Amino acid sequence: MFRLLLTTALVALPLVAAAQEITVGAANVAPYLDPGRDHSNVGSQFYYNTFDTLIDRDHGKRELEWVPALATSWKLVEPKVMEFKLREGVKFHNGADMTADDVVFSLNRMMQATFPPYVVRAKDRLGNFLRAEKVDDLTVRVVAEREEPLWETLMSLQQVMIVPEAYIKGLTGKADVAEDSDYEAFALAPVGTGPYKVAAFQPGEKLVWERFDDFWGETAPLERATVVQIAETASRVTALKTGEADIITNVAPDQLSLIDSDPNLKTEGSATALFHVMIMNQNHPKLRDPRIRQALSLAIDRDALNEALWLGKAIVPSTHTMAEMGALHQPDLVTFAYDPERARKLLEEAGYDGFEITFDTAATYYTNGLLAAQAIMEMWNAVGINGRVNVQDQWSGNDPEMMVRNWSNPMYFADPFGSFGVMWAPGGPSESEGRFNTDADYAKKWDRFRFSTDVADRNAAYVELMEEIKQDPPLLPLYRPFESWGMKQSVNWAPMPGHIPYVLDFRAGSISFAGN
Amino acid sequence: MTPYLLRHVLKAVVTLWAIVTVTFVATRLSGNPIDTFLGEGLTAEGRQALIDYFQLDRSLWHQYLAYLRGVLSGEFGLSFVDRRPVTTVVAERLWPSGQLLLSSVALTVAVSLPLGVLAAVYRRSWIGSAVMVVAFTGYAVPSFVLAIVMVLTFSYWLNWLPVVGNGTWLHFIMPTIAMSGVLIAALTRFTRNAMLDVLGQDFIRTARAKGLRETQVVLKHGLGNASITVISVLGLQIAGLAAAGSVVVESIFSWPGVGQMLVNAAILRDYPVLQFGVIAVAVAVVAINILTDIAYALADPRIRLARA
Repeated sequence: MFRLLLTTALVALPLVAAAQEITVGAANVAPYLDPGRDHSNVGSQFYYNTFDTLIDRDHGKRELEWVPALATSWKLVEPKVMEFKLREGVKFHNGADMTADDVVFSLNRMMQATFPPYVVRAKDRLGNFLRAEKVDDLTVRVVAEREEPLWETLMSLQQVMIVPEAYIKGLTGKADVAEDSDYEAFALAPVGTGPYKVAAFQPGEKLVWERFDDFWGETAPLERATVVQIAETASRVTALKTGEADIITNVAPDQLSLIDSDPNLKTEGSATALFHVMIMNQNHPKLRDPRIRQALSLAIDRDALNEALWLGKAIVPSTHTMAEMGALHQPDLVTFAYDPERARKLLEEAGYDGFEITFDTAATYYTNGLLAAQAIMEMWNAVGINGRVNVQDQWSGNDPEMMVRNWSNPMYFADPFGSFGVMWAPGGPSESEGRFNTDADYAKKWDRFRFSTDVADRNAAYVELMEEIKQDPPLLPLYRPFESWGMKQSVNWAPMPGHIPYVLDFRAGSISFAGN
Repeated sequence: MTPYLLRHVLKAVVTLWAIVTVTFVATRLSGNPIDTFLGEGLTAEGRQALIDYFQLDRSLWHQYLAYLRGVLSGEFGLSFVDRRPVTTVVAERLWPSGQLLLSSVALTVAVSLPLGVLAAVYRRSWIGSAVMVVAFTGYAVPSFVLAIVMVLTFSYWLNWLPVVGNGTWLHFIMPTIAMSGVLIAALTRFTRNAMLDVLGQDFIRTARAKGLRETQVVLKHGLGNASITVISVLGLQIAGLAAAGSVVVESIFSWPGVGQMLVNAAILRDYPVLQFGVIAVAVAVVAINILTDIAYALADPRIRLARA
């Protein structure tokens, strides 16, 4: 009888089917799919299978290596103008040909954005680009305001993936005008040029990809991939055990052994390219003295946090860069360190009188976030700081009363500008929320760091910025959390070092099956 | 009958207004949706632009009045997160929840009526005691514990039953049991007590005296009259089940219903979805209560006449 039950289940479920179909059990399925307006960890999982950029990179390598995608070549024709030759014969999933007009439309919807969600996303990273122009049917130019050291990097962002102009404009209202409602509708019925088309999408619940036979590049290895949201961690692990899912996302560190001990299953993981950070309010009346904040930072033994919370698999940084940033990674620079003795001394010098310092954290938003906060209270306590964890779901980073809290600084793209540079820019998120101050001197250094075309000069400017951060600290990067995926032994898949965090890359060469 | 119904409808309207208001206030106390669905790295200026776009900067009174107006005209707004009409979002999840509710009620009735009758008839033998022990134990086990124990046993270890979604009839087994566990326990006890009450009445002695077979006495005269109590209890319990049980059970089994949607909407602070979802559940609960009252009145002429 039970054998019968099982057999029926196996036959009835599309989940355990031929090897060319897989089911992914994801902690979250995105509520909408528009690469332009999104930069969330949830959304990032889904864009690379569906959309292409003009320039791509070899994601198998950590080193930056640009490869042609929808553009076959590109070159600077003037110091501030890049010309792209477009690939011929590229089709969108709706059967339309990709034209220079589509490319210009896609880029300008960000570079000259009017739809508020685009405006917000474009400003921090695409602010240097004025416009895209069509030269002829296969040539497009992009004009920058200032000389741009990061052309390839910024032209390969998720936000400038290419989308179909006529399709979007025709979704609602007038067929020749791009209304806000067109973009809203597009986010529920996305069409791109990538190897998989979105065959079905139920926001926050389910996404079905089907192989796109007219894809311009190497044919997709999967006939169909279904992503279902399984919010409960225990249910995800169980779904993997029962065979209902072939891959599951977001396996918590304490669940790894459950999966690894099953001979039919395995885990893959990597230290995610994002920092969990602790932020400190420079403008809180009680924290104005930088020595207090220095002490708050120096008191924290991040290696101990790594061992205890991440089984030593996280990466504790000495400064705000990552190996992915290539020539701009500066592992020898020590901006952040553990020195409880010095912390005690600084507190004494600053005349710290034992007032309470609150550390805000949501209960579950960051993996291990609450545990880390509690451990930090103990470390603070050891040097004489009276800390208290304040658990609340509300974001307090813009609250003048906020003293200390957790946050994250993702690597939006593989350059220090894509992480530190965005979050701690003059007028950026931190300063505009009133908890970080910059002056003309900082702005000048930041400008060199962002725009200098000489890598050595950019690195030198970064060092100067870090010295300011060290002297008057607004943050401490805790670690790069270790993120894991569980899967069947027969599935060959792992996060690729060349991607931003969380990308589910099922393109040719990225996934295969044992025995195939 | 009409004034009786009218009074109930009026009561229902007031209840719904209270629910709309409480939901409105509670969602807004819990945090700002901008923080939860736009991700990190927003400048204050960008944040303001989005607050304007999503019209989150209106005063609470303004939002509340606009919302009430919307509710009255059947316009419940768009989800903040996916920007679809919330009615669409909720509508596509009603049927899965309804299916689960129906299967749970069916299972409950199918199990607890016979058990309750059995416990009443054999109240002095070990059969009756055994039924009551099981019923009390069942009442003490919350649905999420039952669900997790079943998942561990039948999926994780034995690998017999699927845990994700509502694809096949096999998917119904564990969620249905988890949803009905407490209800079966409760209803079995109520059925037993109601049966005991009825079986002690004079007309039962009359029925026996006129030579009816015992099964006919118990089932027709006994259960027939006990059903009045049972219906009202069932109605109340189903209402509670629809509201609370589904949230927990649907989350555990990734059931694409209203309960799971409410959890997601709460996490993302998707006010419009959360509000309309709660209202939809509330309407369902109120409707079930009205139906129970009507069924009650139909089953027992005394009630209908007394209240009219």
